[in-house]
Amino acid sequence: MSQDLFIQSSITIRNSKIWKNGDLIFGKENEIDLSKFLKTIYRHANLKYPKFFKMDSLSKLGYLGTEILTSGNISNKETALVFANSASSLDTDEAYAETMQDFPSPSLFVYTLPNIMLGEISIRHQLNSENVFFVSREFDPSLFIDYCKALFYQKKVDNVLCGWVDLHNNDYDVFLWQIALSGGTEFNEEELKKLYLPTHE
Amino acid sequence: MRGVAVTGMGLVSAIGNNIDEAHRSLRNGNDGISLPEILTTNLNDLPVGEIKLSNSQLTKILELPKDHSYTRAAMLGTLAINELLSNSNFDQFPEDTGFISGTSIGGIDMTEEHFSDFIDKPEIRKYIQAQHPGYTTEKIAEYFNLKGVITTISTACSSSANAIMMGARMIESGKLKRVIVGGSDCLTRFTLNGFNSLKILSQEKNKPFDEDREGLNLGEAAAYLMLEADELVGEKEILGRVSGYGNANDAFHQTASSENGEGAYQAISQALKKAEIAGSEIDYINAHGTGTVNNDLSESVALKRVFHDTVPEFSSTKAFTGHTLGAAGAVEAIFSLLAIQNNEIYPNLNFNSEMSETSLKPVTQIQKKEIRTVLSNSFGFGGNCTSLIFQKDE
Repeated sequence: MSQDLFIQSSITIRNSKIWKNGDLIFGKENEIDLSKFLKTIYRHANLKYPKFFKMDSLSKLGYLGTEILTSGNISNKETALVFANSASSLDTDEAYAETMQDFPSPSLFVYTLPNIMLGEISIRHQLNSENVFFVSREFDPSLFIDYCKALFYQKKVDNVLCGWVDLHNNDYDVFLWQIALSGGTEFNEEELKKLYLPTHE
Repeated sequence: MRGVAVTGMGLVSAIGNNIDEAHRSLRNGNDGISLPEILTTNLNDLPVGEIKLSNSQLTKILELPKDHSYTRAAMLGTLAINELLSNSNFDQFPEDTGFISGTSIGGIDMTEEHFSDFIDKPEIRKYIQAQHPGYTTEKIAEYFNLKGVITTISTACSSSANAIMMGARMIESGKLKRVIVGGSDCLTRFTLNGFNSLKILSQEKNKPFDEDREGLNLGEAAAYLMLEADELVGEKEILGRVSGYGNANDAFHQTASSENGEGAYQAISQALKKAEIAGSEIDYINAHGTGTVNNDLSESVALKRVFHDTVPEFSSTKAFTGHTLGAAGAVEAIFSLLAIQNNEIYPNLNFNSEMSETSLKPVTQIQKKEIRTVLSNSFGFGGNCTSLIFQKDE
């Protein structure tokens, strides 16, 4: 049942810097605050997607990561989305909870679920594919590997876009990668950790 | 033999604190919709599906120490799994039993209760970490000394349906032999205010698939199934099999469903394909049917697209329980398995007239007939649509 899977490409976004396939492709010398950074990347990547401005920060991170990783094109519409994080949608939960004192905000409430980010990515790329979202204490390579292997084993998919997109108190950690049956680096725990860890502080 | 065996189940919901009570309510048409008594809220004129057990009563029933840090969802989940344990053949679960739990709220109930006191009262700071959805799962696992794969799925209202799908898939691919799957969610001011702000809560008891439906009632519940690989089943009674599942994204809107029900259509089609059955083999559909204008129309359109002029008999049981969010998929999985075991279809309460757009009429009275195959739908915000197929073990 063991099938070889490969990481075709990856992206990490941390501390106002972006690495694609291990290379620094965007970096501010001094860290800038999150909302400014998000707008800066949007412009830098020359994106034209007005829905971006309505999203919460977690969805913006997932959206931007996906756009830059895939150069705006997910050609296989069956690509499954397997995502996880630690803080769920806590940032927006807090913002929404504050509005409850006064008038609960529907536009914030709709983002009080982490998988809304997957909805945004699916809307952008018109994917009706399988989605799952896990909440774990920390980045857990074996969970991704087990789940993705089961997906491939059942011949459900040929491509998976995986993501760890965590956001709490303006501290963000974005790591996305694409998996397929060939090309790139072998998809195992060691390689995944190697890709995830170097820039992680 | 197709599909993964279900060998145990446990449930707590507004229509009963165990499966027998819930089954009796379903048969007698007794809903669990009432005004909130346990949840303190200014929105106390909105009907909900509330479990009439306070947190201190739950603490007593579960024999937890007074200074415990269980969230309400953790206590409800523990109560449901206690029932699962008592109807399994185990004194206690083998340590390698996996546990996959879905939730959309996690421990928000404790945060909203205690947030303003965290600074002054160090003794309640234990609830800070309880906000994390995984914490609720870990507390339940700790209670039962589960040491296998433990994970938490958060995909809104399809969370526990996805937990069932993941469990079945892990068993089929040989990664797990035995796993408890399901979900737990409790009522909170956070969700009640949020759904109210989206203007999708009904002032009255919800009326799924009715022309004049006005919205949903929120509910709370915990429901879990035991899935086991055939090699472990032995002489145990098999309650049914998970033979099909499909998940698709509607890719339309953050919270609304598309007009053509694309996500639902694809999830149902994939589940049928996985189960290797034709649509005509479905004996009953336990619909998602929340009672909102948007969902029920979108789901009806999807049913018509899949089944054309021969939509199988269907009902939504949310008029009994309210919409129990992350727990709904597992609650309705249990209702689907009860339908199979007892050869009956539970009614869609509060229905008066068909929707003009689709003219679909749900089953409105309890009905006896042979049920071998049930389709259960669970759709969530974020466009996450899951369909499960349960079949009689034969």
